[in-house]
Amino acid sequence: MANKQTQDSYSAQSIRVLEGLEAVRKRPGMYIGDTAERGLHHLVNEIVDNSVDEALAGYCTEINVIILSDNQISVEDNGRGIPVDMHPTEKRSALEVVHTVLHAGGKFDRGVYKVSGGLHGVGASVVNALSEEFEVEVRRDGKLYYQRYERGTPRSKVEERGATKLSGTKTTFSPDSKIFPEVKFKYETVARYLRDMAYLNAGLKIRIKDERNGKAEEFHYEGGIREFVESLTSGSETLHDVIYLHGVRESVDIECALQWTDALHESNFAYANNIHTIEGGTHLSGLRSALTRTINSYAGKNNLIKSKDLRLEGEDVREGLVSIISVKLPEPQFEGQTKTKLGNSEVEGLVAAQINEGLGEYLEKNPSDARKIVARAVEAATAREAARKAKDLVRRKGALDSGSLPGKLADCQERDPARSELFIVEGDSAGGSAKQGRDRRIQAILPLRGKILNVERVRIEKMLSSAELRTLIMALGMGVADEKDVTKLRYHTVVIMTDADVDGSHIRTLLLTLFFRQFIEIIEGGYLYIAQPPLFRAKKGKQERYLKDEIALEDYLTDLGAEALTLQAGKGKELRELHGAPLKTLVRKALGRERMYDALARRSKERPIIEALAHLSADKRASDESFRSDQALKELADAIIKELKGNLVYRIEPESDETWRAVFTHAQNGATAPTVVDLTLLRAGELREIRRLDGDLEALKAPYKLKSGVEERTVESLKAVADAVVAAGQKGVEIQRYKGLGEMNPEQLWETTMNPETRTMLRVQIGSQEDAEEIFQKLMGDQVEPRRQFIEENALNVRNLDI
Amino acid sequence: MRCPICKQPADMTPANRFRPFCSERCQMVDLGTWVDEGYRVPGAAVEDREHPDDFKKKPLH
Repeated sequence: MANKQTQDSYSAQSIRVLEGLEAVRKRPGMYIGDTAERGLHHLVNEIVDNSVDEALAGYCTEINVIILSDNQISVEDNGRGIPVDMHPTEKRSALEVVHTVLHAGGKFDRGVYKVSGGLHGVGASVVNALSEEFEVEVRRDGKLYYQRYERGTPRSKVEERGATKLSGTKTTFSPDSKIFPEVKFKYETVARYLRDMAYLNAGLKIRIKDERNGKAEEFHYEGGIREFVESLTSGSETLHDVIYLHGVRESVDIECALQWTDALHESNFAYANNIHTIEGGTHLSGLRSALTRTINSYAGKNNLIKSKDLRLEGEDVREGLVSIISVKLPEPQFEGQTKTKLGNSEVEGLVAAQINEGLGEYLEKNPSDARKIVARAVEAATAREAARKAKDLVRRKGALDSGSLPGKLADCQERDPARSELFIVEGDSAGGSAKQGRDRRIQAILPLRGKILNVERVRIEKMLSSAELRTLIMALGMGVADEKDVTKLRYHTVVIMTDADVDGSHIRTLLLTLFFRQFIEIIEGGYLYIAQPPLFRAKKGKQERYLKDEIALEDYLTDLGAEALTLQAGKGKELRELHGAPLKTLVRKALGRERMYDALARRSKERPIIEALAHLSADKRASDESFRSDQALKELADAIIKELKGNLVYRIEPESDETWRAVFTHAQNGATAPTVVDLTLLRAGELREIRRLDGDLEALKAPYKLKSGVEERTVESLKAVADAVVAAGQKGVEIQRYKGLGEMNPEQLWETTMNPETRTMLRVQIGSQEDAEEIFQKLMGDQVEPRRQFIEENALNVRNLDI
Repeated sequence: MRCPICKQPADMTPANRFRPFCSERCQMVDLGTWVDEGYRVPGAAVEDREHPDDFKKKPLH
């Protein structure tokens, strides 16, 4: 407690009489705001404030509040006690003057209380005037004094009621039910105020007890507003420990506690002389200007703002901040609707100076905290800037009206979204082909171009220009952000059609990301597709064929090769001859088996081991049981070694509580990754397929002779047969890997990619939540820097893209 | 699922009209970044353009 004054100075002479009491009962609202719940509890606050003033002056350490019944409450402190001697001009006891004359009280004499609270300073007299019954007990100078009032009028003289060693004032009152429509004290409301008072006056002990139900609490905070802030931030992530700043400037006591959290909102509580200044005022504006200035200056000095055009505004600096500013000053002026706005103009500069100095020093001494605080503000400023740009886009008059369609869009005739298709086509030349080749009744074409940036002539970056973005939003017709309405979507088939090259995949990545983030309803509705233009063009003579992928190409070449070659397999009775369709079937099976081996090889499963395992499982010598004990697995592993006769070693290890696995490595060469043989491998789809194809192909025994006209040659395996057939098919065929959509003429584009009867398209879906997250994490990557966020190259294999 | 902007958990059900973001703020931040042309795909080095099939063989990171 600051400013301890001498006890002698607080006597009847210190009580100045300013004005009478009459008006209070007539117009209570003028004095306590209203006569509802708020006004009722305000009475308690007024009496408590008098005790807190004693604490501020350094004489009171404890306040006890007891709710005696619904309509009766008592407040007791251990301060000096209100003076009881005769008032020099009023010729009555000072105690009576304090309670019966408006604006009478120690707080109006700067000599007694340098600072004091009490809203409007109306104090005890107003509470007395509005109470049916009001009793006050004063313990002072070794004696106990008592006086009782009814509706502001004394019903007794100040009585002396014996001796006491204690000091203090106890007030017991019952609000007048003629004034207050409902008189019922609420524990929570009273307790909340007392808790605030305890926080604001570090060390002061305040107890509350409710006689109606026995509920009681004690509020006592040595840390004061530091603890107040801690209580407000408990449960949120905080960036640092509470920052506490305190100082006295020109007899204004300034106290401030600050803590930044990861929350998006700011919360501030401002107090002047313990009054919660809900409307703020000069102390709050002083705090705010100091925060903005100090943090900007620290950030500038330490070069913490990377972007040149970014400025930290007040709201950026305060994002996530929990703060309490409490000032105590001799003559507070309260303004505003509810008189809860501090008006003293000099306070703004004093607070600003105090916080500038204190916070500046704190930041210098705690650079790691300082960096976090600045980073938080930079983040907020970046977000604010981005949101502003987004709002500009949305609000720009007419720009996104569904009525106006972009000039680049070649719309369809159909108006029913369920039957309308939009092709988003990369590049102008492809857009031209698509426009000519489409079915204009139901298909609309929107050509889009990725904007290319050549970064420092070293690296190429691609983005969607904001003009293209606007065009796309207009074409879709469903709006964006808070004006978004999927029922206005103009097409229920939206097809991303890009080239099968790197550029195309970039644009596709961007568009998929955009759709997922800003038009997720289109994906959820199952409206978004990826076109599958062919990957290859095969030309034989004047014939042209478009082939959508490697498998289609192999098929095509197999067809040609199988007509050109004849296979002779086996000898004697087992001799078989294949040509044409049967040979095609054989080659497809052989190639299919190769693909299975390739797939397993990518998971580091060595082919000879797989071959052995396929044989053994076909013979039922490898089964689930082989993995259930180390002994059974050892038998299987030995059998594998025996089959492949290679220079391999293995070890057996437990895989789970019930299963074992064998790990094969090369005896000499430890460099290749080991092959793990476990239950998962035994049950793999690829292994099952290999077994099935082995069964089909078994009938054809070596030697294998291939004949073409008079030529004849022998090859070692069915794989070699398949390769030879495909190679024969390639004769006279010109194969071009197909890159640009624009290379196709309109008819070809229609036939291969756009015709609803014949095309294949991939529907974009959001899989399980984890998968979607994972893929988009990969798609979009980490933010490299706040203002330029890269979308990482990934998941570019369209065929596997199932988001 | 985490919000693409702030990485806090985001409700992906239709009850959250800002999905896949956690809040309107994050949605607007994202849209603003698009408007600002802030999202970019890093391409290959200028000389070193690759065929898409080559990407398949690259490990995903």
